[in-house]
Order: sequence, then structure tokens, then C-alpha cells
Amino acid sequence: MPADLALAPAHSIADEMKSIVGAANLVGPPVERRNKKRNRKDRRLGTRDEAPLGSYAIDEVVPVAVVSPGSEEEIAAILRIASERDYVVVPTGGMTKQNIGYVPDRIDILLRMNRFNKVEHYDAGDLTFGAGAGMTISDVQQTLAANSQMLPLDPMLPDRATVGGVLAANAHGPMKSGFGGARDYCIGVHFVTADGKIAKGGGRVVKNVAGYDMMKLMIGSFGTLGVITSANFKVFPAPLQTRTFVCAFASLAEAIAFRDRVLASPLQPMCVEINSPRAQEYLAAPAAPRDPDHHHAPVRLENYSSWNVLVRASGSDAVLNRYRQELGAAVTREIAAADEKQLWTRISNDEKQLWTRISNFEPTVIDRHRNGMVINVSVSIADVQSALQAAEDSAIEHNLLCASIGRITAGALVIAFMPLAVDPPSAMQFANAASSLRGRLPRDASAHVLRCPKESKSRFDVWGTTPTDLEMMRSLRASMDPHGILNRGRFLA
Amino acid sequence: MQYSRLARQIRKIVGKDAVLDQPEDLMLYEYDGGVDRGTPDIICFPQTTEHVSKIMQLATKAGVPIVPRGAGTGLSGGSIARKGGIVLGFSRMSKILEIDIANQRAIVQPGVVNLDLTHAVESQGFYFAPDPSSQKACTIGGNVAENSGGPHTLANGVTVNHVTGLEVVLPDGRIVEFGSKANDACGYDLTGFFVGSEGTLGIATKITVRLTKLPEAVATMLAVFNTIDDAANSVVAITAASITPAALEMLDGWTLRTVEAATPAGYPLDSAAVLLIELEGLREAVDENADIVRNICMKVGAREVRLAANEAERQRLWSGRKNAFGAVGRISPSYYVQDGVIPRTRIPETLRHIDSVSKKYNLQIGNIFHAGDGNLHPLILFDPRDADQTARTIAAGREILEFCVSVGGSITGEHGVGMEKLNEMCVMFSEDDIEVMTRLRNVFNPKSILNPQKVLPTTRSCRETNAGDHPSLHGPVNASAPATSAHGAD
Ligand SMILES: Cc1cc2nc3c(=O)[nH]c(=O)nc-3n(C[C@H](O)[C@H](O)[C@H](O)COP(=O)(O)OP(=O)(O)OC[C@H]3O[C@@H](n4cnc5c(N)ncnc54)[C@H](O)[C@@H]3O)c2cc1C
Ligand SMILES: Cc1cc2nc3c(=O)[nH]c(=O)nc-3n(C[C@H](O)[C@H](O)[C@H](O)COP(=O)(O)OP(=O)(O)OC[C@H]3O[C@@H](n4cnc5c(N)ncnc54)[C@H](O)[C@@H]3O)c2cc1C
Repeated sequence: MPADLALAPAHSIADEMKSIVGAANLVGPPVERRNKKRNRKDRRLGTRDEAPLGSYAIDEVVPVAVVSPGSEEEIAAILRIASERDYVVVPTGGMTKQNIGYVPDRIDILLRMNRFNKVEHYDAGDLTFGAGAGMTISDVQQTLAANSQMLPLDPMLPDRATVGGVLAANAHGPMKSGFGGARDYCIGVHFVTADGKIAKGGGRVVKNVAGYDMMKLMIGSFGTLGVITSANFKVFPAPLQTRTFVCAFASLAEAIAFRDRVLASPLQPMCVEINSPRAQEYLAAPAAPRDPDHHHAPVRLENYSSWNVLVRASGSDAVLNRYRQELGAAVTREIAAADEKQLWTRISNDEKQLWTRISNFEPTVIDRHRNGMVINVSVSIADVQSALQAAEDSAIEHNLLCASIGRITAGALVIAFMPLAVDPPSAMQFANAASSLRGRLPRDASAHVLRCPKESKSRFDVWGTTPTDLEMMRSLRASMDPHGILNRGRFLA
Repeated sequence: MQYSRLARQIRKIVGKDAVLDQPEDLMLYEYDGGVDRGTPDIICFPQTTEHVSKIMQLATKAGVPIVPRGAGTGLSGGSIARKGGIVLGFSRMSKILEIDIANQRAIVQPGVVNLDLTHAVESQGFYFAPDPSSQKACTIGGNVAENSGGPHTLANGVTVNHVTGLEVVLPDGRIVEFGSKANDACGYDLTGFFVGSEGTLGIATKITVRLTKLPEAVATMLAVFNTIDDAANSVVAITAASITPAALEMLDGWTLRTVEAATPAGYPLDSAAVLLIELEGLREAVDENADIVRNICMKVGAREVRLAANEAERQRLWSGRKNAFGAVGRISPSYYVQDGVIPRTRIPETLRHIDSVSKKYNLQIGNIFHAGDGNLHPLILFDPRDADQTARTIAAGREILEFCVSVGGSITGEHGVGMEKLNEMCVMFSEDDIEVMTRLRNVFNPKSILNPQKVLPTTRSCRETNAGDHPSLHGPVNASAPATSAHGAD
């Protein structure tokens, strides 16, 4: 949108929003209003928790107004006005996953869910929990930890990532291997549709088939079907103790053969994660960002040449002994949490920290390489090996480096392409690498881009293909958001 | 009439012997496992996805209802042609198309009987986890439509947790795919959304299911109680102790005595309730948890806790639970099964409430249910020839469901809304909730020719219901068949 056209509605959008949420919950355009020229000090006094609009930019698109509604009714009012006036609305949580998707057409209203940050209900005896969409994953886990319970959801940046954002992006972490995804334990959802209907699906009980399963529809909808306001979950007992068995292999094929042994065994690990040789460099010690456009050799020069499979187990001493027995000689190292009794001689390090780093793989890569690309790949179990190999091959073909991690018993992989230590890569290079990766995947796989340089986004399809009928998806989107005001241009555009 | 012409056209598609339209044949398809009835005009048995697609196109053009039907064991009237029309049976689409052990998946046609899939993969160490008590008869198509559960879905999850891909035929005849063998497909999770939609969004013609590894160890226990409160409190205590049994079933005193009379399973006749508890998994974990569960039950007040010593004893303990509905059917002309869900911590008070409802309406109510996930199955005994008793039965059922909702629960845990609980939907969901769901249905099934008048009530009928006017007591909302003509639920 040309800048001169943007000015006129900018005032009115901010004014309209102010009348709904109040001045304290709005960051408007920093333009002079009539004669009342506001100086810096005034603005600082005016609103407290306020960063300048530019800090909310997504792929360099700056929102016209940033709004923090306090109730479902306020969201409904905002969306009704937006539908009427054709304002583009972007719902946000912690803004940890806003690089996913195409560059937004424009952002008239950035709808922050930060005030929806409360526990809605928590019945510890019943292992059910409900939280506002803006509650961070860390706060959720902290609340549950008070009763030795947990949500098996361990996505990146849990201090910022929110319940709503994680559901909308169907984000996952290593625990997906053992517990499934959000679709397996989210039991209720509240949301507001683009035309301002306040609605819900599911409930607070762990088994429920009344009405359509709105949770499934909202999970992975990237904010295009409605604004999630709260969600209910089935939660789980926190394990009494955990161990991580690190198993190193000389080749990908051997690592996958080991995974098949784990799958065939009676073991039921919490996590079964693979780290490609280069991924270990990023997981070892997340380095401070240096020259972000180039690859640097790790400071501590270690020889990362193995494919590691990490098996995380929980249970009593007897259960853990059984793991040792089943995994046998494949185990090269055993890691316990620092605060646990140390049982075994080869124990080292802090286990929890290791898994946090695995969750944070994507931001770690991007901190080091501003120009990195991260792709979420979903394949069937038997295709995991060829998908990981495809990633390595595609990187070589397009002069990039490749680091992969992932949930290899669930077929959920995270693949990063990074620039070599030479010239910064061209936008096309990333586009081509993604295309060549997709070209090597089986037909029913999905590979969508989690993050890549903005310049690359216009050169290829960041979503890729899906086995699910696209026309059906588009019709559903149109029924829930007839004017396409939610996240316009970013998903199913 | 148009149906004879339609029948001729359908015969051309599926073959002469795959269409029924004589009254004596139609009568057999008037009911399912629940209490409702409705007579279809045509029954046909497609053999391929293309058959289904062509029949759908015909029906859409003619504007007649289409109702998919698996084995007809549903308990909420889901497969009943309440507005007449064409019933699509899947007994000739019952092939297992692919077993892919490496991917832990199978692809099946909708008519495959639940237990047959498990039998087909057992020798390779796998099974299909959803195990409704009707699993010898019910179809996977029906399981998908109802999102069915079973005694062993407590730890392993219900049908939706075991379906990753679908081929679906829409009312306009379009054949679409959702998902695949992979756990997640990019884009909306239409597979997950379709499961549990009770045949109102499309016809599932191919289903990709997850196969689950058979557990290494199983421990089956029977805990015997002198009071029903102690049994209920044990369920609460087991949950609170962070143990998730594979199955945690409860039978109250009246039910276990009825069951013993039909199938001697060894439940003590003088007890007030028993819990049937099964633990599965790694041998070490099962052994430890069995001890913990035993201690919890004894501490809360169990009279004894028995551990099945071998497979024969295990089967015997289960035989009572599995034949329970049949046992009740032996002593009562009919019964009405409810399917409400409550938070597990509320089981004691809910059972007391059911007892008071039983007294208030002067009806015998047996309780046998999936206690571990709070999914109740009160069985209300009644004689369908007695109009007054029938009316009291329905009122009692509704009162129980309203209580479930009032403590934060649901009107149905696994049997579905169907036509039976259409009005109770308004107790759980607002007009806006239902409007949004209706909007979504209309994307798939815009004219509602597919399984009409199921799952989603109209706004008008909701207002009537909430005004205390229960339509099923006065006549059906809009149906050609009485909504509550009674029929044994077995
Ligand atoms: C969630 C989601 C959202 C979407 N949103 C939008 C949107 O907003 N706007 C829009 O226009 N489209 C969108 N799409 C549509 C979708 O991306 C394209 O329709 C689809 O990728 C086919 O487009 P294409 O044939 O032009 O590109 P493709 O050819 O599929 O993709 C471009 C490159 O990827 C390679 N490639 C990708 N997948 C494979 C494969 N499986 N096998 C071989 N090669 C492959 C190709 O070789 C090619 O070089 C969305 C899809 C999904 C799943
Ligand atoms: C004794 C007994 C015990 C039971 N125990 C349990 C239990 O433990 N747990 C449980 O969950 N249920 C239980 N049920 C209920 C019932 O068995 C299940 O709901 C079962 O899944 C229904 O399968 P069906 O093949 O009989 O389907 P039907 O009853 O024929 O149909 C059920 C629904 O599925 C739809 N449908 C069928 N096929 C398709 C298709 N291909 N595509 C789209 N829609 C379709 C129908 O239209 C209908 O709405 C029990 C029933 C009985 C009689």
C-alpha cells in the first residue's frame, strides 16, 4: 500500500481501536495529531508496556495499530469493524513464529493476546488445565509443576511462545515422539471468528464427542480461521526422574537401523531425537551471534561426524535399567538431570539443558545466521531416512550447509540450511534448495518453511504441497473468514 | 414415485443384487443399537469409491437424503434414515487394502470390522487400539464417524488418535483426500476434523489408521468394594497418583449381580462395586504400578484386590464386562444407555445423583462405565410398551446429562449425538457455537442431504429445548419417524 494512502486510515484505525480497548492498550501511529504534538516524554508517560510500532514489524511490514484486547467481546468488536472496513488483522502471541508464511499484504491491526494470560481452570486431581491464549508455555509449565504435572509440549522459546501461537502453528518439540502432538491432548478451545462470533468446541473433560472437533480445525490453522482465546488440555504427571541415552553412529543408515530397533522393542521413550553431525555443533554450545551472514567453525573444535540418536526415558530405577539392557552397546553416553542422584559412571552434564537446546534449535541457528532457512518436514516413519538424506544432498547441490534434528519415531523433522563461509547466499539459492528438497520427498510428505530471508519468500512457495485437499481448505477458510481479514496473504492466499 | 426410478439408476451403478427396496428388507434397516427408528426407501451396497461418488451425485440431483451405515451398532441413531432416503451400506467395501508395518499403518475400506483388523496384524505384534465393546461387529467407518472409544482407550486414545489419513466422498460426488500416512500434513487437519462428524460431512471410503505395538506385559486386577463411594474414590486416587491404566472400568452392585447371573466372571455377589483395572507396557513398569494400584485400592477401602494369574483368569474377568449389555438385555425388555462424561474427581457425587434420579423417577438404573476417563454409561431399564415409563426414562436420561454438563462434563463421550441427543447439544453449546459448526458443515454438505437432522440442532429447536419443552416427548423435531420409539439397545 502506498504510504500516502496509509496515512488517512491510520488515524481512524487507531481511534476506532482506542474506543474499544482504551488508550492504555493501544500502540498507534506516532504521527502528530492536530496541534497536540506529542513529544517523546508524553508518549512514554501515556502508555507503559509500549514498544514503538516498528518493533512489531513482520517481515518488515509495520502494523498500523497494535492492540491488546482484554476480553472476547472486545476481540469480537475489533473483528467486526475489521470485517466491515477490510482491515487486515494479524493475531499474535509471543511473535516467535511470525516468520512463517508469505510476507503479509499489510497489517492494519496487530492483535496482541498478551492480556489473555491467565489460568482458566486447573483441576490437578483430574489432570485437566485451561489457559488463556496469551499465557506463555513457561508459565503453563510452572503452574503445572507446582503439582508435579506437565504439558508434553516443548516448543522453542517457551518464555515467549504462547498457548495460542503454539496451537495455531502446530509447533512441536522433542516430546512429540512420546506424547503425540497438540491434537492428541488439546481437549477444548475458545475462539472468535472473523465476523465476530464468540464460539467454542470440546470442553474440559478428557473424552468428549459432542459436536464437531473444533480443536483439530484450530490447531495448525495459522490464525486464519479465528482468533484463539483459550484452550483446555489433558495434562500429564511429570516424570520422577529422566535419563538421556546418547547413541552415536557413523552413518545415517546405522542411526535409522537403531531407531527401528527401538521401535520394535517394548520401550516407550519420552523422546527419540536425531542430531545430524552439523546439528551437534549448534546444540553443543549456542554461541553468541557473530558475523551473521557467514558460517563459522565452532570455537571448541570438536569432530562432529556422527549421527546421534538421543533416547530420553523416564521411570523408576528398574525401568531405566531395562533401557540400558535393551539399548545395550549402542549407548555411548548417559545424561542425567543435574539435580538428580547420579547412578551411573558415564553420566555427565545437565539433561534438561540439553533438551531445551534441542527445542531451541531454530532460534539458535538464526541467531548465528541471519540468513538461514529452517524447514519443518513431516514424513511417514519409513521415509525419515530418505528425507534426512535429501536435505543433506539438496544443501550440497545449492552450496549451503545443512543441519537436521527431529522426532524420528514420529516423522517430524526440523531442517536448517545455512550459508557457507563465503559470499552471503542469494535469495534464489534458498528457494532452489527448498525446491530440490521437496522434489526428493515422497508425494504425501509436507515441507513448509518456518523461517527464511524475506527476500527469498517471493521466489518460491513457502508452504509447499500437502496431501490434504486445497480447495476444501480454501472453502473452509472462506466460511470462517469471508473477507479474508485474518493473516491475509500469508497462508492459503 | 421417484424412489423406484432412483433404485433403477442405482442398480445400474452397483449391480442388481446390491440394491434393496422391498418393505420387508427396508424394515431391517429401521433401527441401530439405540432407541430411535426411521425407515429408508432404498438400501444399496457400493463396492468402490466411484460407486459412492455416483450415488452421491444422483442423490444430490434428486435432493434425497443419504445415510451411511456401517454395522448399525451405533447407540445414538446415527445411521437411521430419519427423513427416509438412501442408506449406503459398506458390507461390500470391507477389504484391508494395505498393511504397512514399517510405517505402523494400515489402509482399510470403511466396512472392515474393527476386530478383523487387529486379527490381521496381531501375528506381527500389532493391533488397532480403539476397542469398542462392539468390536466384533462394528466397522472402522462407523468408528471414524463416531470417534469411538473403548475400555482400552484410556491410555491409548480414541479413534481420532489413530487415524492419519482419509479418502472422502462429498455430497456433490467429489472425491477428496485428507492427510496421509505421515502424522501431520501441512494445512488444516481435516482428517482430525472429519473424525467424529457422524456421517454429516462426507463418506469415508478409505481410512489410513495407525497400528499400535502389542504391549510386552499386561496385568489385570479386580478390586472389590463394600461401598460405591470407595470404588469411586479409588478411581480419583489412582488418577491423582499419576497412574494411567490401560483400562479402568467400574460396575456397580446391581449391574455386577446381573452380569454374574448371565456370565459368571467371579465378581463377588455381595459387593457394592468392582473396578476392573488393566495395566500395560514395559514389564518393570507394569509390576511396579500394579503394586501401587493395589495399595491405593486397599487404602481407600477395597475389600480385596485380585490379580489375574494367567490369560484364562484375565479373560474370565473381562467376560463379565464385555457381556454386560447382553446380560442386562436378558432381564429387561429394553434399556436406554447414556454416555455422559464428567471430570473424574466428580464420580462419587455423580453416582449419588444418578441414584437420586433413579428414585425420583422410580426406574432401575445400572452403572457400568469407563471410570478412568469419567465416561458414564448408566443403563436405564424400561418397557417400551409402557408410554409413561418411556417418558420417565427419557426425562431421567436428560436429567443425568444435564448434571454431567453442570459439573463441567459432556453429554457424550463416545456414542455420539446422532438424533438421540440433538436437543441436549443446546445444553452444552451456545447458539453461536452451533451456528459456527453449521457453517462448517455447510462447506462439506451444503444442502444437508447427507445424514440430515443429526448432530446439529436448529436454533429454533434449541430455544424450545432450553425453554423446557422436550420435543422428543411430544414428537420428533421434524422427522418422519417417532424420535423415541423404543428398541433394545443391544
Ligand atoms: C498450508 C498451505 C497454504 C498454502 N497457501 C498458499 C498461498 O497462500 N498462496 C498460494 O498461491 N498457494 C498456497 N498454497 C498452495 C500450494 O503451495 C501450491 O498449490 C502447491 O505447492 C502447488 O503449487 P505449484 O505447483 O505452483 O508449486 P510446486 O511445484 O508444488 O512447488 C514449487 C517447487 O517445489 C517443488 N516441489 C514441491 N513439492 C514437491 C513434491 N511433492 N514433489 C516434487 N516436487 C515438489 C517443485 O519441484 C517446485 O520446484 C498453500 C498450500 C498449503 C499446504
Ligand atoms: C453392545 C454395544 C457396545 C458398544 N460399546 C461401545 C464402546 O465401548 N465404545 C464406543 O465408542 N461405542 C460403543 N458402541 C457403539 C457403536 O458400536 C460404535 O459407535 C461403532 O463405532 C458404530 O459402528 P457401526 O459400524 O455399527 O456404525 P453405524 O452404527 O452403522 O453408524 C454409526 C455412524 O457412522 C456413520 N457412518 C458409518 N460408516 C460411515 C462411513 N464410511 N463414512 C461416514 N460415516 C459413516 C453412520 O452414518 C452413523 O452416523 C457399542 C454398541 C453396542 C451395541
